[in-house]
Order: sequence, then C-alpha cells, then structure tokens
Amino acid sequence: MPHLVIEKLSADYGATPVLIDVDLAVERGEIVAIIGPSGSGKSTLLRVLTGLLKPRAGHVHVAGTEVNYASAEALRKVRDRFAIVFQQFNLFQNMTALRNVTIAPTIVKKRNAAEVEREARELLTKVGLAHRIDAYPDEMSGGQQQRVAIARALALKPDILLLDEVTSALDPELVAEVLDTIRLLAQDGMTMLIVSHEMAFVREVASKVVFMADGRVVEVGPPAQIFDAPETTRCADFVRRILRH
Amino acid sequence: MAYTLQFGQVTPYLGYLAGGAWLALQLAAIGFVVGWAIGLVCAAILHYGPWLPRKIVRAYVVFFLNTPLLVQIFFIYFALPDWGIVLSSFQAVVIGMSLNAGAYLTEIQRAGFNSIRREEIEAAETLGFSRLQSIRHVIVPHICKVLFPPLSNQYIILTMTTSIAAIFGVEELTGRTYNINAQTFRALEIFSIAALYYVALTLVASAALYSIGRYFFRIKGKVF
Repeated sequence: MPHLVIEKLSADYGATPVLIDVDLAVERGEIVAIIGPSGSGKSTLLRVLTGLLKPRAGHVHVAGTEVNYASAEALRKVRDRFAIVFQQFNLFQNMTALRNVTIAPTIVKKRNAAEVEREARELLTKVGLAHRIDAYPDEMSGGQQQRVAIARALALKPDILLLDEVTSALDPELVAEVLDTIRLLAQDGMTMLIVSHEMAFVREVASKVVFMADGRVVEVGPPAQIFDAPETTRCADFVRRILRH
Repeated sequence: MAYTLQFGQVTPYLGYLAGGAWLALQLAAIGFVVGWAIGLVCAAILHYGPWLPRKIVRAYVVFFLNTPLLVQIFFIYFALPDWGIVLSSFQAVVIGMSLNAGAYLTEIQRAGFNSIRREEIEAAETLGFSRLQSIRHVIVPHICKVLFPPLSNQYIILTMTTSIAAIFGVEELTGRTYNINAQTFRALEIFSIAALYYVALTLVASAALYSIGRYFFRIKGKVF
C-alpha cells in the first residue's frame, strides 16, 4: 500500500466546491508535484491534508492508518503526519530562527529542551543558516526566512512534507537557495507533496506530476508525460502556455 | 523694565513642589492603568462582541473622544451630586481621566486586535499548538509589541493632562505651583521650575519605557 492514499477527497469554501473527488497515491520517499492554473485547488488540497480546511467527504490514509479530521483531538494527531511550508513563510515574528524551530517540539511534544535545541541547530545548519540562528525574521531575507520555515516544519519529524508555492514570494535570485534545500531533502528520501510553478525544478525532482484544474485531478503522470506528451487537452493547453516563455 | 529672576524666594518650596509631582505621577499612573483596562475590555468587545455591546462601546468612545476632558470632569464633579453621587475632587478627576483615557486606549488597542496576523496563527495551528498556546506564544507577544509604542505615548500625554486637576483644587504639580505663586508672586520662576518637574516626569518615564520596549519587544527607537 502506498505511503499516502487520498480517496475521493472533497472540500468546500462555504457553498463553493473547491476540491472534488481527488484521488492520489504517493509512495514513501516519492516526490509528487502538483501543478495547475490558479484557483485549481492545489493549495486547497494541502490545506485540507494539514487540517486547516475540513474535508466534506473522502478518506486520507498515511502508512495504512486513516487520518481523522473530525475532531480537534484527532486533528492534533494529523499534525504528526503532515508538516506544511507556506508561500509567505509565516514565521513567528517575535521569535529568533532557533526559537521558531524549537517551539513546537518543546511545547507541543513536550520534548527535552536541550535535545530539541541540538536538533534545531543541526536542522538550521543543514539549510545553511548556522550563522543566522539568533536572527529574527525581520532581519532575514525571504530566502533565509523560507529556509527557517522548512527547518521548523522538519523539526516535528513529519511523515510527509507539504510545500505550498514556497518560492513564489521570493525575489528571483533567492529562489535557487530554497530549491537547493528541497533537493537536499529529496536526497534524504523525504516524502514530499510540492505545489510549484517552477516547472524546470518540478521536472527535475518530481517522480510524478499531478495536473489539477477546477478542483479536480485532471491528469497524473511522470514529468515526461505531463510536459512532453500530455494526454488531456486541458493539461496540454496549460503546459504549452507555461512553457512558452 | 528689566525683570530680575529671583529664584531665592521659591527655593524653599522645592520639596513641596516635589510632593505635587508625586501626586501628578499617581494621577497619571492610576488614569493609565484603569483606562488601559477599560480600553482592553472595550477593544475586545468591539472586535469579538455581539451587536448591542458593540454599539454601547462605540457610543462611549464617540462621546468621550469628542468632548473636552475638562467638561467631562466638570460633569462628574458638579452634576453627579444632583443624582446623589458626591465625589471628592480627587475622585472626580481620577474617574474623569480614566474614562477619557479609556476611550483613547480603546481605539489604540482595537488597532492591536486588528493587527493580529492570521497566517501566524495558521502556522501555529499546523504545528499542533492548542488555542491557548497560540494565544500565549503568538498572539499576545505580537499585540504587546504592536501596542507598546502608542501606549507609551498615551502615558506621556496623560502625565501632562494631570495638570487639569488643579482646576478642581487637587494639589498636584500645577495646583501647588499656583499656591506658591499666590504666596510669592514669583510666577516666572515657579512656573519655570514646575515645567522642569514635568520634563523630569516625562523624561524618566520615556527612558524607562524605551528600555522596556527595547529589552522585551525589540523596539528600536529614540528617547529624543
């Protein structure tokens, strides 16, 4: 059984359906990219998986166990499974880089502070920020903030890392440093679901690409299929428009 | 006609004047703390409360922001006794200043509530924070940092507003200055010294607030 199985997942914003019968399977260590026009439900899918938006119907299984989105108590268990990195970083502005990374393991998991700090230092070193450990978010560049956000997400040792357009808010020259960090995680065998507009990057790291439109999964396939020989006209149109420049 | 400054005549009163400064400090502190508490409750009602309480708070704020403090205290001191509420001048001034400050501090703190960053709370939520942990570690530190500078300003303004109490016979700094003037007729000398006392009160407060802001909230700013 795949590591992550999504079955007939649906969600609404008020009366508007934003996710319709989404099916998806992700193997352990696999990197799946989600592409599609804006408003297609890519980010919504990640928000549902991480418990920020309640699904209306459907099932999610991680490592063979069904994730229960029903109650607040059950939701806290979801947080063990998924960690999300946002487009706008969403770091805690009143905390240093180190504190941003240590706070969840310390106060949520009630883990030993010294041990958590040692791990946090390792994580920040890994994302190339050993020298910025005591810096506050407003003292860092966007690329640095986003790498702190990645370290913060990893500190909870999630099964699956969700990346929601993590380079879209960055200046072009800062995109590379964040992508390099993600490549590093890929080498470690981290299971990732990546919403991205960086098509070259997607083609390079993803083993599977999901094309979404209007809240539905329209086409799933290896990058070669999606980018070079899409089977649906909808996907072909999107890829043609995006790769033209 | 040349005027010769004669500070010698007023120096015996410096201690007496310091007592007035101490009372001014108390008035400002009480007015600020009570006003802050009123403002916090009212701002929370404006932000989270149901329709009727919101309207009541709005009416209170609009009334107190758009009438002079002096008139408000006159009303409390001279009109309330008609309804059987008799207050000492000190009590009337403290109540008037607190209610007035409360209206200003409602507006200031409402801005604090409005500045809460939804994205940070969402991040906390996805990391598994409970509602209470989110309030304690994310929301409250943020609001404190945002509100600290305007609250500091309001305290300084309030310190100078306390001089209104003199009109009601409260012997704070301005009141005692009047008294000394009445006895010595050395107006220029004694009011200059009173001004220095006010500067001392506000500068000491500014320096203290600056240090607190810098240490606890990473607020970069200058006393001058």
